[in-house]
Amino acid sequence: MSVSRDDFSIAFRSALLQRGGAQKFSVLSLIFLALIIFFLDVYGAKFTKPVRGFLNDVVYRITFLASTPTRFFPQVSKDLTKYFNVKAENEKLKAEIEKYKLLELNVEFLSDENKNLQKILETEYFNKNLSNVVLAKVLVDKNSPFLKSIIINKGTRTGILKGMPVTHNNYLVGRIVETNYLSSRVLLLNDLNSRIPVTLDQGAQAILSGGGTNNPTLEYLPEDYKVIEEINVFASGKDGIFSPGAPIGMTNLDGEVDLFVDPNQLSFVTVNLSIQNLGKL
Amino acid sequence: MAKNSLFYKIYNAGPLLLLYYLCISEVDTNLEKVFEIFTLNFQIILIYFWVLKKPELMANGHIFLAGLINDVVMGFPLGISSLSYLIIIFVGTYVRNKSVNTTIASDWFTFFMAMIFSNLLFFSLLNNFSDLEFSYSKIGYNMFFTLFMFPIFWLLFNIYQISFIGNRDA
Repeated sequence: MSVSRDDFSIAFRSALLQRGGAQKFSVLSLIFLALIIFFLDVYGAKFTKPVRGFLNDVVYRITFLASTPTRFFPQVSKDLTKYFNVKAENEKLKAEIEKYKLLELNVEFLSDENKNLQKILETEYFNKNLSNVVLAKVLVDKNSPFLKSIIINKGTRTGILKGMPVTHNNYLVGRIVETNYLSSRVLLLNDLNSRIPVTLDQGAQAILSGGGTNNPTLEYLPEDYKVIEEINVFASGKDGIFSPGAPIGMTNLDGEVDLFVDPNQLSFVTVNLSIQNLGKL
Repeated sequence: MAKNSLFYKIYNAGPLLLLYYLCISEVDTNLEKVFEIFTLNFQIILIYFWVLKKPELMANGHIFLAGLINDVVMGFPLGISSLSYLIIIFVGTYVRNKSVNTTIASDWFTFFMAMIFSNLLFFSLLNNFSDLEFSYSKIGYNMFFTLFMFPIFWLLFNIYQISFIGNRDA
């Protein structure tokens, strides 16, 4: 009995303290070091924020470079496919141009009417101040089962602050949750931690909650409200972060929201510098 | 293969380079696009196997550093992945010290223990010391598929070890 206990303690101690050969550090010393770093980072000592910011900027750049091969080969195959389909695409585009010419007049009338109505409602037209919009490139888009976020190549140097809304082709994709000098992290709408107030086509208010899956869900809908297919979902702007009326997605048969922008396919996004959430992020 | 040859050194560095690459690049083992719930933690399989079979190829300091890089890229609090990896090293080294001969089944079982301890620490710290929310079902799927895929990677790594490194077992 005592022999087996000795064996256990020797093996246990050895596993914790063993050094030599390739092992220059014992597991125990590294556990202590990791704990110190963890608590310094969590409780945010004064000097840790700039250090972490610098570390983030450096690592994100290296990650971008290291991921180049994984981005290069799919892009080449995509370009080749496009090249071979160019004739068919040309005909399709010609047909589309004809269609859009017909629609143009209609759109002009509707946009004028929309601007007038927005003036009446005293809301801000979300494209009004284009000088306050920054275009950013997606540096890292690492898919994680627990966090749905992307890293962009603009940070506090360009005026980006926590809470600013991020869009792609005017469709909302998320908001800034971490800023560094040269980069920022965007929390996507489908992340488990994302909650935003939205308005539905028919005027109903709800909260759009990310679930970690591709399609977020609608919560806190009015009682007896039945979600049907193809209802447009817009940001309500009640939180003061997102522009009212910014389109987000469309409901599907399962009562979830199909986002207008696929969060896994983002290459460039825009950050609206004129809006910042002052609440807790 | 001569121990001083360049290829031998490259093959020896293979597992560590793969670990660093997985931590720093966009490449991930989250295959939700293929199958909705299929995610696995490949890093811990990699670390556990090599700590058990050839610990001299996986220096503790390098694994610690890879964990820090992983935290930066994933947006977790710094040090949390390092702690989780160090627990894997600890269990692996303990099992290595205690056992003379191992089989795929014994490695599989001990890996399960290592993964439980490591994930328990990881998610307890994340739950108590950060604002991040996570889905317990996702953690469950992740652990299940990591455990499920272990024997497949065990065999692949074993083939790699026999073919390129030699000295099959401890």
